[in-house]
Order: sequence, then C-alpha cells, then structure tokens
Amino acid sequence: MTEPLLSVRGLTIDLPPGSDRPHAVENIDFDLHANEILCLVGESGSGKSLTAAAVMGLLPQPSVKPSAGELTFEGRNLLSLSEGEWRQLRGRRLGMIFQEPMTALNPVMRVSDQILEVLQAHGEAGGMGRVMELLNAVNLPDPERLRAAYPHHLSGGQRQRVMIAMALALRPTILIADEPTTALDVTTQAQILALIRQLQSERQMGVLFITHDFGVVAEIADKVAVMQHGRIVELGSKHQVLEAPRHEYTKRLIAAVPTLDPPDRRPLDRAPTVLSVKGLGKTYKTAGGLFRPKRIVDAAKNVTLSIRKGETLGLVGESGSGKTTVGRCIIRLIDSDKGRIDFHGVDLNAFKGSALKPYRKRVQMIFQDPFASLNPRHKVGDIIAAGPIAFGTPPADAMKRAQDLLQLVDLDPVVVDRYPHEFSGGQRQRIGIARALALQPELLIADEPVSALDVSVQAQVLDLLADIKRRLNLSMLFITHDLRVAAQVCDRVAVMYQGEIVEQGSTAELFRHPTHPYTRKLLDAIPGKHWRTRAHA
Amino acid sequence: MRDFWQRYRRNKGAVVGLGLLIFVVLVAIAAPIIFPASPWEMAGAPFQRPFGEYPLGTDMLGRNVLSGIVHGARVSLMVGIISTIVAVALGLTFGALAGYFGGIVDDALMRFTEFFQTIPSFVFAIVLVAIFRPTIYSIVAAIAVVSWPPVARLVRGEFLSLRRREFVQAAVVIGESHLKIILTQILPNALSPVIVMASLMIASAILLESALSFLGLGDPNMMSWGYMIGASRSVIRNAWWMSTFPGIAILVTVLALNLVGEGLSDAMNPRLARKGRA
Amino acid sequence: MGRFDYVARRLLKSVAILLAIVVMNFLLIRMAPGDPASVIAGEAGAADAKYIAQLREQFGLDQPLTTQLALYVGGVVQFDLGFSYRNQRTVASMVGERLPATLLLTVTAFVLAIGIGVGLGVLAATRVGTWADSLVTVAALGFYATPLFWVGLMAILLFSVNLGWLPAFGMQTLGSQMTAGERAVDVARHLVLPATTLAVFFVAIYARLTRASMLEVQDMDFVRTARAKGLAPARILRAHTLRNAILPVITFAGIQAGQLVGGSIVVETVFAWPGIGRLAFEALLQRDYNLLLGVFFLTSVMVIAFNLITDLVYSMVDPRIEVGA
Repeated sequence: MTEPLLSVRGLTIDLPPGSDRPHAVENIDFDLHANEILCLVGESGSGKSLTAAAVMGLLPQPSVKPSAGELTFEGRNLLSLSEGEWRQLRGRRLGMIFQEPMTALNPVMRVSDQILEVLQAHGEAGGMGRVMELLNAVNLPDPERLRAAYPHHLSGGQRQRVMIAMALALRPTILIADEPTTALDVTTQAQILALIRQLQSERQMGVLFITHDFGVVAEIADKVAVMQHGRIVELGSKHQVLEAPRHEYTKRLIAAVPTLDPPDRRPLDRAPTVLSVKGLGKTYKTAGGLFRPKRIVDAAKNVTLSIRKGETLGLVGESGSGKTTVGRCIIRLIDSDKGRIDFHGVDLNAFKGSALKPYRKRVQMIFQDPFASLNPRHKVGDIIAAGPIAFGTPPADAMKRAQDLLQLVDLDPVVVDRYPHEFSGGQRQRIGIARALALQPELLIADEPVSALDVSVQAQVLDLLADIKRRLNLSMLFITHDLRVAAQVCDRVAVMYQGEIVEQGSTAELFRHPTHPYTRKLLDAIPGKHWRTRAHA
Repeated sequence: MRDFWQRYRRNKGAVVGLGLLIFVVLVAIAAPIIFPASPWEMAGAPFQRPFGEYPLGTDMLGRNVLSGIVHGARVSLMVGIISTIVAVALGLTFGALAGYFGGIVDDALMRFTEFFQTIPSFVFAIVLVAIFRPTIYSIVAAIAVVSWPPVARLVRGEFLSLRRREFVQAAVVIGESHLKIILTQILPNALSPVIVMASLMIASAILLESALSFLGLGDPNMMSWGYMIGASRSVIRNAWWMSTFPGIAILVTVLALNLVGEGLSDAMNPRLARKGRA
Repeated sequence: MGRFDYVARRLLKSVAILLAIVVMNFLLIRMAPGDPASVIAGEAGAADAKYIAQLREQFGLDQPLTTQLALYVGGVVQFDLGFSYRNQRTVASMVGERLPATLLLTVTAFVLAIGIGVGLGVLAATRVGTWADSLVTVAALGFYATPLFWVGLMAILLFSVNLGWLPAFGMQTLGSQMTAGERAVDVARHLVLPATTLAVFFVAIYARLTRASMLEVQDMDFVRTARAKGLAPARILRAHTLRNAILPVITFAGIQAGQLVGGSIVVETVFAWPGIGRLAFEALLQRDYNLLLGVFFLTSVMVIAFNLITDLVYSMVDPRIEVGA
C-alpha cells in the first residue's frame, strides 16, 4: 500500500457552547490515497461538510474549531499551520469546489479574471492564455466568448465547470468537492460527475467527495465513509459498503433509497376519470418597455393528461420544465391561458374567485418546503383546522377533527397547541399532509413533497402517503424531479421537457422501454442507475 | 415574550436606550406637574447663566430653559409618535396592496411611492408647512407625508416574498378569503421589520420637527426644542446655554429611540443579530 | 446596448417625475388657504380690488384650471419659475445665482461623507469587536442622532467663537482685495465648517451601512471561494468583499441625495452660506411662496440629477444591471 496523500487521525471539531451536541465531528479516522475518490456520505447534520472545511482550513472560526487530532498532508500536520502557510497550500496543493455554483462565484467579477486570480496569487506564469486552456479542459464551449462573461451569463452547470477549472488551475494533489452536484439538474449532474471522474484519473488526484446521495456514491466512489452524528460508522470499498453494509445505520440508509425497479401495480383502466386536462397552456411575458423587447416563455404548452380514481400520476422533469406550473394551474394558484381543466367533467377554468370555492375542498395540495409551508405564527391545530373553518365547520368540531388527522399522520394529537418550529422537517411535512386531508379532498397535488427531506425521513413520508392514498382511495398528481421516487410511487408517469409532455405511460413500461430521446437521456443520467437494479433483475 | 426580552437584553446599548426613553417619556408626562407655569412665561431675569438660580439658566426673555426643555419633550414625542402612526398606516396600506395584488396595482402604487421618495423630503415638508401655515396639524401631516414611502417599500417587499411562500398558497388552496389571508397569514409575519422601522421613524420625525421649528416653522403656541435653538442662535456668542441644552435633549431622545430600534431588530430577527453588532 | 437602455429608461423616468413635480407645485399654490391672487397681492404689498383683478388676468386665474396648468407647465419648460414680488425679480434668476454656492457645499459634503464614511465602515468591519470598531460604532450612533443645525452651532461655538480658527459666517471675506489664489483659500476656509457639519450626519450613515454590508458580504460563499483559492487577505478584501459591499452604499447614496440637499438648507441658514438653502429661509421669512416653490423645484432637479449620476455609476460597477431593472 502506498503512503496516503492525506491521513486523518482522531479529528474532533467542537461546536459552540449551547449547540445540540458538543462536537460536530468526533474522533474520526480516514486516509485519502492518490488516484482515489473517497465519498463522505451522511444525512444533514452528520458533520461531513465540516470535515471537508477542516481539511481546507476553512472552518468558521472561532465558533467552530478543531480541538483534537491530526491531519497529515505531505508530512505536515495541517492543524498546526499558520494562516500564511495555509494560504500557500490552498489553491496550489488543495483545491475545493462547493455546492452552490450560483453563489460561489463573485457576481461582479469576470469569470476569466477569477481564474486568473488563482494563478497570480501563487505567482504562476501563463496569464490569460493559461486561463483559456483551463476553460477548454473543463469542456466549456467557446472559451473566447467566456473571457468577457460574468457569472450571471452562465448556467449552473457552466458555473460549476468554472469552479472546477479554478480549483484545478494549479494541479493540486487533492480536490475537495462539497456536494458539487446537489444544486444541479440530473442531466447536468451526470456531466459534472463524468468530468470530475475524468480529470481525477488524468491527474491521479485524490478526491474527497461529500454527498448525501447514495446514487452519486454508486456512480463515483472508490471508497466510502458513512457518517452519522459526527462519527464515521462505516468505512470500506464502494462494493463492500453498498452491497454488504455492516453497520445498522448504513443498512437503514441504503434500504431507504428507492430502487429504479417499479413495483407491479394493479391496472386502473376501469376506474372513473377524476381529472382530465386538455391542451393546457401558460405563457409568461415580461412586459416590454420602450427600449426592451418582450420576453416570452412558454411554461406549459398544450399539456394533456388525465388521472383516474385511486391513481397516482407522476409529473417528472428537470427544473424549468414546467411541471410546477402545470400543478399550480390545476389547483388554480395561477391562471392558465389556454385549455380545459375538467374535474369530474366540469371545467375549472370557467370559474374565478369565490365561484371556485366549492372545488377548493375537493382538490388539495402538499407543498415542497416543510419550513415554508406552515405559518410560523399559527399553532398546528389552527393550521389544520383553518380549511374546514373557512368552509363553515364550527371551530370546535374542526379542532376535534384536526386531532384525528394528526393521529392519521402518526403524530400525537396533543401537539395541536404547539408551533411549527418545534417540529422536524419530516414531522412538518406530516402536518402539511394533515392540512391537505382536513377538507377530505378527492385529488391531491403533491409538489416535490419529499425532496427537502433526508433519505430516511423521505422513505417514511412516502410510506405514509401511499398508505393514506390507499385507505382513502385518493387520486394524486405527484410532481418530482427524482426518478427513483417516481418509480416507486407512481402508477403512470408523464415526462415534461421545456413546457411540453414528451412521453407518458405506465411507470413500468416507461422505465423499461423509454421511447422519447429526452426520457432516455433523463433515465441514463440517474446516478448509480446500475446499482441495485441488477440485484433485483 | 420572555425569550424576546432575553434576546433584547443581550444588546447592552438597547437596554441603556430603553432606560433613557422611559426617562424622557416620564418627563414628558409629568411636565405640567414639574413646571405648572407656562414655559412661555417670564420666570426671572433674562440671560441668567446655568447652574445658578435656574439649573439651565434663562433665555433672552427671562424664560426658564429647563421648563422649556421639559415641556418641549411633550411636543417632540407627540409629533414623533403621531406622525409615525399616520405614516405607518399609509405605508402599510399602500405596501400591502401593492405587494399582495402585484401587477398593475403594484406598478401604479410604486410609481406613486417612487415619486414621493425622489422629491427632497425636507424641502417638501417646509413647503407644505409654509403653505398650510405652521400648526401642530400641518407639521404632523407634513412629516407623515414625507415619511411613508420607505414603509410602503418595506411592506411591499415583505408582502411580495410572503405572498409566494407556501403557507400563503396553502391558505389560498384551502379557500381562505383575500382579507383573511392578508390579515392573519401575511401581516403578522411582515410586522416585525415594520415595528423596527417605526421606532427609527419616530426618531427621524423628531429630528425633522426640530429642524422645521428651528427654521421658524413650529406651531407658535407650542414650546419645542428646535424653536428654542432657533430663537437663541443669534445670541450664541454670549449665551451658549440657550442653544446647547435643548440640542442635548434632542440628541438623547433620538439616540434612545435609535438604540431601542436596534435592540428590537436584534430581538425580532435572532438570525440577523450575529457577530459584532453593537 | 444594455446600459444604453438602462440610462434611457432612467432619463425618461426623471422627466416624468419632474413633470409631476411641476403639476404638484401648481396645485400647491392653489391649495394654499385663500385666493392665490390675494396671496400674491399680499406679497406684493397692495391688496386693493383693482390690483387683484389685474393679477387675476395677468396670471390667467380667470381661465379654466386646465388652461392655467398648461400655461404654468409651458412656463416652467422655458425655465420661467414665476416672479418674486418681494424682491421684484424673477425666481429663476434668484435661484440660478445661488446655485453654485449650494453645489459647492453639497458636493464637498458628499465627497467627504462617502470617503470618510466608507473608510470608517471598512475599518470597523475588518476589526469587529476591537476598540476601533466600538469607537466608530458609538460615534456613528451619536452623530446619527444629532440635528444638523445643532452640530453647526456647536462647531461655531468651538472652532470660531472659542478657538477662533475658522470663519463662521458667509462664503468669503467681504471687501478685501485678493488674488484668485487667495480668494480660493478664503472660500475654502469658509467652506470647512459648513461642509463638515453637513457631512457628519452622512458619515455616520455611510459608516454604519458600509460596516453592516461588509459583514454580510464577508459571510458569502464567494468570499469562502476566494479563501479556498489561497488569495491574500488584502486581495480578498479589495477585489471581493469591498467590491460587493459597496453596491448597497451606492444605491443608498442615491436615495440619500434628497436628505443631503434638505440638510443644506439648515446648514446654509446656520452659516449664512449664500446658497439656495439660505434663499429658502429668506423666502420663508418673507412668506414668498413663488420663491419657495422655485427653490423646491430646483432642489428636486438637483436630487434627480444626482440620482441619475448614482444610477449611472451603479450600472458601471454592477455588471448584472443589464438583465435586471
């Protein structure tokens, strides 16, 4: 075995007093070798990002600081370096890329200058010519045009490529990547992962890759370290950790990752149609001015879909595909420009304002963000009872029903008097579900209901939704960007691309035999797509 | 509420400010008890130096400077508070309508607001008070008219962002009316920055009132700090105390209000009250 | 292309606001208690019925309101701001001759305020929690709470009356023979106290704003990126933190323009500085409404011009402007 590039021994990072635990990271050991990608994987709050920051010397000191352990790199203990010595290492020997390509670049500086800055800071020759080479190396189109570009001219994926060019400008031996693809769409993610893989093997780099996504781990890792509550609970080769996990927590996490094999479902061809959308269109125009051309975006174009009683239709697509617009048009949060929205044969588009109210109770919505979807100043009971009260139910009865609903979503009914901030993300999402159910709807529109949740919580909420849907025989429009979730939850799936539904069909059929090129591209881009499907096949 | 006080107390300046403010308010309330006589009345010989028979001396007409300051506190606080209430009411209404309904309503109201924000506010206040004659009503109205635009912009911004928040959309989906959504869902969440701004606005309204009465645009029947300074500035070379002490009174009151405003801001937005805010 | 559009839009908006101010001026003079003719006649010192009737005709007050408005707007477009009966001169010529003094005062104060304020803000933000930070913060709080006219009076008391260092009144020493150079020094000496007085309040504002903005930007992701690149602290401060933290300060400088001009009225009154602020005070004493509205119009023009300049500067320092706005 060769000498590791980086050797971490007994690293402990303190949290400020008054935090929910004393150490963010507690006594962890791992080695990173050359030509190897080590994935640090864990749920939010596991300490994985702080570990990365510690290796880079970028902890938010003095509130968070390493209190014990050694980080040995090139014969030196990084924890004993002065700020000046750190500066020599950063950028030159250690490169880092971050999660949010939108905010990680200086918005008022040309991206070429931001790369050039790295060369200049470390007294490296080459100037703009070298910058152009670097932009070429990360496969950015038309580097000459990029010379004058500012970050806001670039897409998310292009910005992440610029970040990579910047981090690798001086050929560091270690690249630290902190959730570098989490903010990106799945097809962009696949490209960035491939790029990191390619550059890593060309340069024989060691990569410390932080992620919460086991699909990404399956795609890119050589070795895996699983973190929980600041400790590494399992460390091994990718194959060992993913296929034969030893620790209970790892097993639980992996079991919670939905597989891409759609389960068999009973056909619903006989059930009556609840919702039928025909030729739905929604166009956004930015008002033109005297000197400004109008900009027109077709958020939804000729969308046609239908949902039967008891059926779940998945609406999948990347950000900006129009899937959320369609959901909001159906529930009439926004007005569509064209088409019909027939609910039990009545066109909802024909109603406006209070005329719509009778239908409000029959179609309900579950929102994405468990922290933004509950009014922080209202008690849980009031939040759930508000709907029935708006429809004339006496408050006492509505409150009684709120308690029953809390029980239905596996929460203790006594929590009616608490405020939302006392609950975790998963619990809040249960409250959101209870609110939607309070009006006894027939159709639920769920807009990315689990995408803000950790994978283990995600599995619980999905189980709950499936259970309730079956018990109450609800129909559901399930909007998601996550094809793994769609495969498990939906009876049928519609794929959206640039405002249009490009393909629609039963989940099993669509996942096994996609016909449209975009659907294929989308399925192809799923990280870790071969992992676990083989095992089941 | 206990939490709120705990967080407020962490800002030492804010605690000092609150103490000062309570003192000024008590003085204003007790003014007729401390000095039952009118502050306009001659109390003794003119041009008496301070720290003698009269703690802060007398002015060129023999009026007691301390009595003027104590009675002036009533005028300053009253003008500050009433004009702020009017301005906040205006700003809340315009801002809430613009932010909630958006579109043309927003465009029209914001053009209107922008206009009032562009014109030089102090000059506009002078023009208003001069044309409508200086009375306590015209002064309060003028200060309110030039002070509401920032409130409207703030409230509009809050409403715009809260309007898009999922809990508001959820309220639409469960069939609540516009009025109920504005009053019970959005307004309570938009209120804390408005309260902070209001406390700072009382301070700037007091400064504005003092500047108006310094220029001779005060209500001729009411003793105010700005008037005292304006009336005595021609004798500043031989009677420094007449303009110095009322100025200190303004400084203390305005400073107290600003400190309280910052304390409220820290206590209401615990996440923003980060490192190093004094 | 983007910047041209932006500037053109701003120009159009400025013209619209100016027009609105003219209309409002027209309405204000008619909303004043009493008949405008008798108000004007009162100003002119003769209130007999015949004179009032003559005034009515002269100002078209017997015409319908819309015609009057058209006449008024037409006049303002040709820079006819009316007539000051007290002074028997046109308002335009009076405010015009006072403009340079006010510009000298406000521009000097503005440059001082931005320079010192931003400097102090950066100083405080880079030394959070030290005595320097506390000093800047406390001083800023104090000056932010102090009325300008009082600062001016106290400055006169200290530097002019007690120490005798600087002149307290006017813009130049009258009646003495001086070369151009000596005169410049003389004006500069007269300028020190009023300009500093006017600047002090704004120094406090910009120092607080810069400090807060710097602290906010310091926590942003791209500053972390800059550190991860191994840049020197001075480079991070200049090219990344300050470069972004200055943006809200520029925006605010535009918003504050009106306050600066308003403050100059008080300061000019205190220091007998012969600008339009002092003119406004004189107009107030004489109840000369035409003159007062002329001052209001001109100060509005100044503020709008100042806003245009700050918008222009902003569009040059923030490359994102071409998409937004």
